[in-house]
Amino acid sequence: MKPYLSMFLMSARRTFAYRLSALIGWLGGGAILISSLSVWHALLGEGAIAGYDWPMMKAYLVVAWAAGSIGASQGDWRMADRIREGHVATDLTKPVDYQGSRFAEHAGGLATEIPAILIAASAVIAFTGSIPGPANVFLFLLSFACVVPLKFCFTYLTAMLCFWTHNFMGISWAKDAIIWLFSGGLIPLSMLPVWLSVPASLLPFAGITATPAALYLGQATGAEAARLLGLQVFWVLALWFGARLLWRGALRALTVHGG
Amino acid sequence: MGLVKAQSLTKVFRRPQKGPGLRGSVKHLFQRRFKDVPAVNGIDVSIEAGEAVAYVGPNGAGKSTTIKLLCGILVPTSGSVEVAGVTPHVDRIANARNIGVLFGQRSQLWWDLPVRESLGLLRDMYDLPKGFYQQRIERLDEVLGIGELMPVLARKLSLGQRMRADLAAALLHQPRIVYLDEPTIGLDIAVKDKVRKFLRELRADGTTLMLTTHDLGDIEDVCERIIIIDEGRKIFDGPLAQMKDSFARTRRMHLHITDGTPMDVIAKHLSTADVSGEGSEVTIAFDRFAHTAGQIIAAVLQVAEVGEFHLDEPAIEDVVRKVYAGELLV
Amino acid sequence: MFRTMRIYRRSLGAHFRSLLEYEADFWVLIVAGAMFNALNLLFLSAVFAHVPALNGWSYAEAVLLMGVWSVIGGLSPLFFEGVWRLSWMVNQGTLDYPLVRPAPVTVQVFSSGIGLHGVGDIVTGGAMLGWALFHVDVDWTPLTVVIGLVLLASAATIHLSIIAITNAATFWISGPHPFLAIAVHTFEDMIKYPLTIYGAGIRAVYTFVVPFAFVTFFPVSWLLDRSAGWVGLLGPLVAAYCVWLARTVFRRGLRRYDSSGH
Repeated sequence: MKPYLSMFLMSARRTFAYRLSALIGWLGGGAILISSLSVWHALLGEGAIAGYDWPMMKAYLVVAWAAGSIGASQGDWRMADRIREGHVATDLTKPVDYQGSRFAEHAGGLATEIPAILIAASAVIAFTGSIPGPANVFLFLLSFACVVPLKFCFTYLTAMLCFWTHNFMGISWAKDAIIWLFSGGLIPLSMLPVWLSVPASLLPFAGITATPAALYLGQATGAEAARLLGLQVFWVLALWFGARLLWRGALRALTVHGG
Repeated sequence: MGLVKAQSLTKVFRRPQKGPGLRGSVKHLFQRRFKDVPAVNGIDVSIEAGEAVAYVGPNGAGKSTTIKLLCGILVPTSGSVEVAGVTPHVDRIANARNIGVLFGQRSQLWWDLPVRESLGLLRDMYDLPKGFYQQRIERLDEVLGIGELMPVLARKLSLGQRMRADLAAALLHQPRIVYLDEPTIGLDIAVKDKVRKFLRELRADGTTLMLTTHDLGDIEDVCERIIIIDEGRKIFDGPLAQMKDSFARTRRMHLHITDGTPMDVIAKHLSTADVSGEGSEVTIAFDRFAHTAGQIIAAVLQVAEVGEFHLDEPAIEDVVRKVYAGELLV
Repeated sequence: MFRTMRIYRRSLGAHFRSLLEYEADFWVLIVAGAMFNALNLLFLSAVFAHVPALNGWSYAEAVLLMGVWSVIGGLSPLFFEGVWRLSWMVNQGTLDYPLVRPAPVTVQVFSSGIGLHGVGDIVTGGAMLGWALFHVDVDWTPLTVVIGLVLLASAATIHLSIIAITNAATFWISGPHPFLAIAVHTFEDMIKYPLTIYGAGIRAVYTFVVPFAFVTFFPVSWLLDRSAGWVGLLGPLVAAYCVWLARTVFRRGLRRYDSSGH
């Protein structure tokens, strides 16, 4: 465990070293939160939409924003660059598991992300009044904790595509757009047309926003809550081990290209 | 009347004085302390049309800064610059038409474009007529062999290829005045020779050349005048030959003695020269204005049998090294 | 002037051709750019399935505003992408070469790159704009068309000037990345919705400090003849001011440039 812990700490320190860029990143995140709160405030002035009134929507937006912000470290670019510039060969000579190491680094972002989320949530309460608390703290935190490995898997899988393509920016954006839509980050899944909302609820992306939000708002309880959590955990495991398989394939591509 | 003229040219950089770490940075926000660092300190230079001048000095002496002031990249803190009747930083674009610049450490080629595209872009910027452009490309291909590099992406060029392409880019518009900052840095011998040969041809064409370099071979091959600066001040300015005469009077002759004559016998016989060595290998250092090499060899032959011998010409390298090391006060 | 335009066109064209070398990347970027706009539109559509208006703006009106923003936002990566490299150039000292060439430094910097995602923005934004123009209630006269186009050009000018100004801040704030410009640019994205949904503080800042409101909200309000729509007619003045400011900032900045790479 020790090497992974030290990689985690190293990465956490790095986010402080690049504090200006981190700060700007958070400012940008703040802009997104402000515009989504404002547009929903205007929309819900008349009353509830699809079962969401203003306080409930506020809670949803804060959870969605928090889920979007956690585990969002810039590690994807580092990973992609190391693959594109062929430094992966060096990484592979180290006596640690590659995927595990990247996860440890990825999680280093939590050191700034958790405080930033707490600050943002406090700011929302300060400016717009209280928001309802979580319906079930334990289930919500469990589900929210799953967001970190889940997002890591998407990032890791996307970065791995650099073995086959030059342009990471494009695929990284495409990944972000897909997650934004299918996770419920864009709009609660129940407000999407059925042909989108049904597949979205089964895909792994729902675990990033829709599931923790449903548990926070108490939209899912009992057996339904267990089903949602189970699906989320299933996807974490499936993607984690799927990534390992793909990695093996990618390494074969690496040797074919000769480095 | 010089073509390139600078009078009491001075450039002072303001560097923030910060303590270490985050604390230092935050403190600096409130207590803004700066230190003035003069990079170029009252330099006077006048270069005639057609001259080839070497501009040398240790790292951080202000060489590149001077070049950048002459190009119009930097605005001088005080003093004046005039290049072909134009003040570079005031009338930047007019000046740009007269000059060609190469910074050896950096490429001006567009990184992600083929060389041909870069040259085409420059052609548009300098407004070169089609016929002239083609003629220049042919000429540059002859001397620098850039033809084969034309379809290659700049980032895929090797260092030597890049320098050739960069020279072509700097000289495409046939500038009257050419500044070259370290034009042979990092090149292997073969490419270096090619570049130097090209620079000699450029000089022969009547181009005014200013060259900064750490490679003294460049200077001896290309230039007839040398300016040495240190800590932003000019410490020597004159013909290369004069510098050698003033500071490189000593020649060295290396001899192989075949008859076992001891060294001190030779030393006694040659009282005005400095004799050193070991066994049969003897080195004689002598003032080349006091004696000719012929006189020395004749004198040695009076007391000893000589097998092989060769002569070291005074190298400006020695002189410049001494200047850098502060051993020589000019 | 023509020469400058030719240099600019030629430089952009060269970078464009170099991007075409990787055909797959070309499409990925364009599609990725289009996707975010499609999602923004999807959001509006999903919301308007439940409500008739957003702060008094109908669906078509809201789409019009968003379309204007997408089109203008797509111009900067396509025609101005190079400005985002300015801080890198200043930090590495590679601005030296543009300074020794007989062409305006700004033109050389602005055209030193091209972001193809702008194509996606402009195509999707143009479609939104085109659709919305047919569905909003406007009394079209030749004069409306002319003024509309002038306001659109002013809006684009304001947007690009602000990007240029914030990037030129790198002459004062050293560092290889244009953090200020990135931050300001992110906040600009808020103008995809009608400005009236935001609080008074944001409205004031977006009108008087960083005039983003003149990029989408005021010109569209003028076209739709909404209250205070006349403010939109100030667009050209604001644009002129922004251009003047950008020029001044660039000139001052270039004098400060110290070519620090060496």
